[in-house]
Amino acid sequence: MILKVSVNDDDYVLDISPSRSLAEVLREDIGLTGTKLACGEGFCGSCTVLLNGTPAASCLVPAAATGGRKVETVESLAPDDSDLSDLQQALLIEDAVQCGMCFPGILMTLTALLKENPAPTETAIRSALVANTCRCTGYERIVDAVLALANKEQA
Amino acid sequence: MSTARIGENLNRRDAEDKLRGRTQFTIDHFPRRTLHAALKRADVAAGRITAIDISAALALKGVRAIIFADDAPGIEGIGVYDRRLFASDYIRYYGEPIAAVAAESLNIAREAADLIKVTVEPLQPVVTMREALEPDARLVHPAWASYAQTEPGTRGRNVAWEASVVRGDTDAAFAREDVTVVESSFTVGRQNQAYMEPRVCVAEFKDGRYTLETSTQVPWSVRKVTAEILEVPESAVRVTVPAVGGAFGGKFETAVEPFAALLAKKTGRPVRIANTRQEEMLTAPARDNAEIKIRSAIDPDGRIVGREATVLMDAGAYSGETGFLTSMTSYTLGGVYELESVRLVSQAIYTNTPPTGAFRSCNGAYNSFALERHTQEICRTIGMDLMEFKKLNVVRDGSPSAIGQRNDGNILGPLLDRIDALSAASATSRRHTVVDGRLPDGRLFGEATVVGGWFVFVGPSASTVNLNPDGSVTVITSGVEIGSGSMMQSIPQIVSHTLGVDVSAVNVLAADTDASGYDVGVGGGRTTVSLGGASTAACEEVKKKMLAVAADYLEAAVEDLEFVDGAATVKGAPGIRMTVAKIAAHAQTTTGPLSGSGSFNKRGTVRASGCVAGHMVDGLEMPIYAAHNCEIAVDPDTGHIEVLAYRTVQDVGKAINPKAINGQIQGGIIQGLGYAIHEEITIADDGRIEQEGFETYRLPLATDSLPVEIELFEDAPSYGPFGVKGAGEIPIMSVGAAVACALASATGKDVQQLPLTPPRVQRILSNTEEPLSLEHISSDWRDNVLANASELEAEVLGAANLKLR
Ligand code: FES
Ligand code: FES
Repeated sequence: MILKVSVNDDDYVLDISPSRSLAEVLREDIGLTGTKLACGEGFCGSCTVLLNGTPAASCLVPAAATGGRKVETVESLAPDDSDLSDLQQALLIEDAVQCGMCFPGILMTLTALLKENPAPTETAIRSALVANTCRCTGYERIVDAVLALANKEQA
Repeated sequence: MSTARIGENLNRRDAEDKLRGRTQFTIDHFPRRTLHAALKRADVAAGRITAIDISAALALKGVRAIIFADDAPGIEGIGVYDRRLFASDYIRYYGEPIAAVAAESLNIAREAADLIKVTVEPLQPVVTMREALEPDARLVHPAWASYAQTEPGTRGRNVAWEASVVRGDTDAAFAREDVTVVESSFTVGRQNQAYMEPRVCVAEFKDGRYTLETSTQVPWSVRKVTAEILEVPESAVRVTVPAVGGAFGGKFETAVEPFAALLAKKTGRPVRIANTRQEEMLTAPARDNAEIKIRSAIDPDGRIVGREATVLMDAGAYSGETGFLTSMTSYTLGGVYELESVRLVSQAIYTNTPPTGAFRSCNGAYNSFALERHTQEICRTIGMDLMEFKKLNVVRDGSPSAIGQRNDGNILGPLLDRIDALSAASATSRRHTVVDGRLPDGRLFGEATVVGGWFVFVGPSASTVNLNPDGSVTVITSGVEIGSGSMMQSIPQIVSHTLGVDVSAVNVLAADTDASGYDVGVGGGRTTVSLGGASTAACEEVKKKMLAVAADYLEAAVEDLEFVDGAATVKGAPGIRMTVAKIAAHAQTTTGPLSGSGSFNKRGTVRASGCVAGHMVDGLEMPIYAAHNCEIAVDPDTGHIEVLAYRTVQDVGKAINPKAINGQIQGGIIQGLGYAIHEEITIADDGRIEQEGFETYRLPLATDSLPVEIELFEDAPSYGPFGVKGAGEIPIMSVGAAVACALASATGKDVQQLPLTPPRVQRILSNTEEPLSLEHISSDWRDNVLANASELEAEVLGAANLKLR
């Protein structure tokens, strides 16, 4: 089938098999491998993208269902050589990253959270992160990074 | 220009690309014209294969090749050569590969795999270690006796490998009239590494050689094992490793690489193979399930005069890493407390379950649980304060370990003092709100302090350092960045510091066995020590050459030069200097480019003669310790454990980058909380692992974690560069112990199993948890040993009787 989709503000016309997930199409057809696919079953959040601004597990979304919708992936946060987003910068400063596989998904979840609520509480941050599993870091630096942003927002 | 300092909190250089989504892991690699591979896996745990029919699969459009046992004749193994790439005659576990397909798309490959018809005569699987040890148990490997082994050691029937320690006369100790004897039994389940990047490999066959890009911790062992399986020279295999998306020990073995290699050769195309999450849940080399019986004789002063322990480790269908890891019991169970006499035996047991393997701290994670719970039981029985008992008995400078090595330095005593102080001063403590053992909200309160010991798996490493004409340097090793930061944080920091160049001018080449010298692999907390040591040595050689160039240019004697702030400087005349960049440029036109190479290895240790058998590691090369303290709340209705506070003081030798170490500790302890509380793997009667994905395998989430209060203990002896010891391995070790001991102290009950899921805790609270007796493990240690126990004893009686202090 022919799919017309907007990814990170670029329009794509792709010939895909209807059974494929958005995650697969992003990674294999478009070459945006920032989006990860660690479980393929909707439980780890490594494949999280924004669909019309809302976080979604792209491994569970059939690519065919995204026609006409706006997809944003981790690559949209700091395109090309532009500066890191405030959230990326905060995670960098906290030295939060380890293997890095979960971060693309975590970034999309938190980007959506911060858009809705620029100064979330610690509880709100942790609840939002429940959709994303990180096996390496033990989460606290990620929480701290967002709290630092929230505090800046309030100050 | 800034040269890195040792102890400086530099950020890691790979973080920005990882945050931008630019980092290319192996899983992100889809070469042009690549074929996709899928495995046909066994859907029974035990059986005899009578026929394999691939005709329907071959006829499918888009299928390019199908391989099975005949295509991979080689046999591999770590201690015992017991494994082939594909099941040939017998199926030994659910999920065992039987054939592999390469096709134009993954869907076609999977469909073809489904079309392969395997006729199997099913056999009753041997699922538990208890069954495997029954005298008439079916043999998982009927031909076990014909297998080659790499080291002398005892094995037999369903015992894949045995390692033992005999030091001193435990019979005499247990027979003493003045001792109290305490016996405890424990069992633990498996833990899946659950790295986010599955095991994946992209293989190509070109110029008559195999090139494998793969997600592994051990490029050199992938090279060796792939060559063994393919029966080609090792030099015909090249392994490269980009960033690895988590490993935790689970990528310490060759896995999918040989399938891809064979298919690439057969098709002449690149072949990509990646496990699904379900395949990872069903076949990852999980931390083994284990059963432990431990018995101690305690004298009236509270000293341990005799200890005997038997540890059964479920190897699953092949001996692999778990066979190798049997030796570790001597350190993880026998390296923490002084033991006047000791007998330990660990056996890797064959069962018809997926093979187990290495996972951060390996058997330390459960041996430490058993040891510390046993210690708690001892103190309850003899009525002694736990802290007093620990301080009295922990190893100190000069104490012999279980295998008779003399301990270097006082570490555990001071660690206990430090954790005491940390916990007493901690603002997070809830202990002052407790009345009658309960928190104000009615939940039970428990607290525990535990200690654990491990060692750095030092081993051989090589490094080459090239000084480039612009003054930058390139470090070439087979070190892999698995997420811990050792390659992207520690090594550049060490090299920058040693050479006096800007840290941003240090580039680290991704692991490539064609470019670099041998390395054991990333694991066992060894990278910063061994690759750090090799790189330091390489830098020293570069420095020597730089001084010669500078001496010539500055017209000074080499002896009159020293390095100050990244420049060769004439002593006493700081104005006369030549920067590294200038030396590099000058060398380019005179001597030619400068480079250095270095290597590092263990030093070799002395253990008491004759007291170990079947050990595949030489000794407790570089011991490392940690003390943990935790406070928990237990909901008496639901059995839910909430960790209220967690603290640790960890021996790190020297902290090259304290912030990086703290990140490793935080991550390791949260993984440990998963192990302690909710990561549960169960194996059904038919031998199948019941948790097939993250829906049923409950990993720690952000709502489970808490900030760990961390102190680093520095300056314990270490021959690592700058006195460093590996810091990433040990954080997980004592977490199961800490939570279990806190639960035992909260409830007054015996806690014999991990994980402590809410249903289990409920049963413990309501006294409905079956007490664990482990009847298949005898209380008489001799009955459990496969080797001739009196021969083991005879050897040691000839050895000098070791004085404890
Ligand atoms: S890959 Fe989509 S949730 Fe895990
Ligand atoms: S950094 Fe490895 S999974 Fe999060």
